[in-house]
Amino acid sequence: MAAVAALPEDVARVALDLPLRANLSAIDNVALIPLYQRHYSAAESTRQAHAMLDRLGHADIALLRDSDMTPAQRFVAQLARALMLKRPRLVIDRPGAMLYDVPYPRFIYQLAAQADLSGTWDIYDFSWNQTLYPE
Amino acid sequence: MNFLAASIESLGAKIVGGFTVGYGIFAFLTQAVWSLLDRNTWNHATYDVVIKQVYFTAIQILHVFLAYVLVISWILVTIILTTARDFGLAEFASEMTIRVLVLELLPFLAVLFIALRSGSAMNTEIALMRVNNELDALAHCKVPPMQVEFLPRLIGGVISVIALACLAGLLALLLAYLSIYGLTPAGFDPFTRTIAKIFDFRIVAGLIVKCALFGLAVTLIPITAGLETPKKLFMVPVSVLRGMMRVFFMIIVIEVVSLALKYI
Repeated sequence: MAAVAALPEDVARVALDLPLRANLSAIDNVALIPLYQRHYSAAESTRQAHAMLDRLGHADIALLRDSDMTPAQRFVAQLARALMLKRPRLVIDRPGAMLYDVPYPRFIYQLAAQADLSGTWDIYDFSWNQTLYPE
Repeated sequence: MNFLAASIESLGAKIVGGFTVGYGIFAFLTQAVWSLLDRNTWNHATYDVVIKQVYFTAIQILHVFLAYVLVISWILVTIILTTARDFGLAEFASEMTIRVLVLELLPFLAVLFIALRSGSAMNTEIALMRVNNELDALAHCKVPPMQVEFLPRLIGGVISVIALACLAGLLALLLAYLSIYGLTPAGFDPFTRTIAKIFDFRIVAGLIVKCALFGLAVTLIPITAGLETPKKLFMVPVSVLRGMMRVFFMIIVIEVVSLALKYI
């Protein structure tokens, strides 16, 4: 996975090695970005985070902490955080390691369709999982 | 000969290790002070986290802490008072009470309380954050861990130790007055005169500086010990053990130096 390690800084990553802050809820994890990067107020940051989770169709996970989430919910929270970074390119690194409880290529396509955002989404996966992805 | 060489080598490694740890703590403190002086640090988010930290460190334990202070102060005031009367030194009882309790014992009790409760928790949390890559994730998101995680804990720790020591001191003073003079205003004049005599500027400043250093010790050392943890889960208890030993050592050093400066 040298390709992932060599990614430039303006790429948002969703990966197993970039977990959520364990003692914060999903919404607080996402809200950290507008709060500390763009200096919005706590209320406005929470509103933006909620809107992002809602856009992905998972507003119900807002108050869950990492340990209370299913792997799919955890992935959605990580994805919402990555999307909140508003970087031009998003890399999902080895989704099989994070989404072992759902048929993940379809799940990611659904999220991408719901997110309705600009930018490129790339999935880096092992070559032996190629058959999982439709042409 | 081999034994001697091994002993010297081991001693040298320990000294170098000690200096490395000391340098790490100092470098982190410098970074924290630098961040403290940065205007961008001071936004609503940082204030919110500092307030949360003060709440978790000081307010949550306030009732238990004050109950301990009440019991310990009552016992010690009674012992001092009885002993002073036995030796015919009753007129010095209030001064002894204030010096022993308010200036030395209660700040020490406050820092031990916070070290055992919050310091150990902080060390564990930071170590787990490091092992689980949570700090790397924050860095990837360009959310500064110093501002979000570390600085509020440092400030919260310092404020908490000073506040708890002050509250405990006030409670002890009240208890001392009631034990010495009872429920009468007759002793108010001599008691306040004794307080004024003891608490000159040097003593008050020294007490605040000591409490601030205590607060720094119980937050700075656990944080740096947590950050030193190798990325292996089984090293977390080792990190907490090391961190808490350093905290204990530092608390004793601060207390001894403070006593030496005051009385020698």
